[in-house]
Amino acid sequence: MKALSKLLVTSVFSLSVALGTAHAANEWGIEHEEAKELDGKVVDLACELSGNCPSNCGDGKRQLGLLLPDGTLYPVVKGGTNFAGGTDDLIGQCGKMVHVDGLLIKDPLMTIYFVQRVRSEETGEWSKANQWGKNWKAANPGKKLGRWFREDPRVAKIVEKSGKLGIPGLVYVEE
Amino acid sequence: MISTVSDVFHSSLRKLKLLPVGFVVAAGVLSSFWTAAVAATAPQRVQIEGEIIDTWCYVTEIMGDAQGTAHHLCAVWCAIGGIPVSILGDDGQVYMVLRVESEDTNVANPTIVNIQTHKVVVDGDLYERDGVKYLFVDQVADDKGVVNLNHEDYGIIPFGE
Repeated sequence: MKALSKLLVTSVFSLSVALGTAHAANEWGIEHEEAKELDGKVVDLACELSGNCPSNCGDGKRQLGLLLPDGTLYPVVKGGTNFAGGTDDLIGQCGKMVHVDGLLIKDPLMTIYFVQRVRSEETGEWSKANQWGKNWKAANPGKKLGRWFREDPRVAKIVEKSGKLGIPGLVYVEE
Repeated sequence: MISTVSDVFHSSLRKLKLLPVGFVVAAGVLSSFWTAAVAATAPQRVQIEGEIIDTWCYVTEIMGDAQGTAHHLCAVWCAIGGIPVSILGDDGQVYMVLRVESEDTNVANPTIVNIQTHKVVVDGDLYERDGVKYLFVDQVADDKGVVNLNHEDYGIIPFGE
């Protein structure tokens, strides 16, 4: 009886883990979104389309995509850090196959992929797709990652030059 | 199972008869790959007029109507954050920009970031693949600056500041 209950507990735990990982992507309630794990080769989009191919997919300075085994190409436009893309999460796998989890958004205007997790081929472990934030934090010690967009020096420089509305001298005053 | 010389002969003959079929199948497969490759690499020359926008916020509508002065600051954040920049064409289509003039990079590229929300006319090569319109701009023919002053209606999106 004890063995049976142990087996039951183990089974329930295994099932919950399996279910938990089957659709682990956070859904955002975006129209046309689908939580989707994908296997694909990490490619430099510009290279894939035009044949202009710098080494190592542009070293993180070029937009990346996933080339699926059936030839379908999806651009990875978003990563796990607020207001940031997914290039930093995938550049280490340039030209290699990856297994990712996230949201595939097949909007009639454009199909895009939001990577939320990347699975290590070596260990099978999942890691959050938040490398952009880690890199920003390392480059901006002492600043708060949660407010990176308020504290980033590049943003500050643009706002100083052309204002928050994009037009020098134009200011929004809430009525 | 033991094969006789006759078995081997007839087996080889059958394989030879199948050769033309194999050639036809292989040619068909190669042809379809070649057609797909050409389709993927043959651009169309276009001139697009529209506003530079943030791809993520506009397509997903998570910030509502993500364009104009109301969304300019957020569009700068996203471009600096490395999210692709697009052009919202006057035709209502969204074109993901993968190159601007001689720039060889497209992640947080200063040239692209600095024209966020601008109304532009561009000439370039358009590649369409799997539900995405990719644009390689080789000339910004006209830059009218920021002209969509929708902050008067919406304020600053998000956070109001």
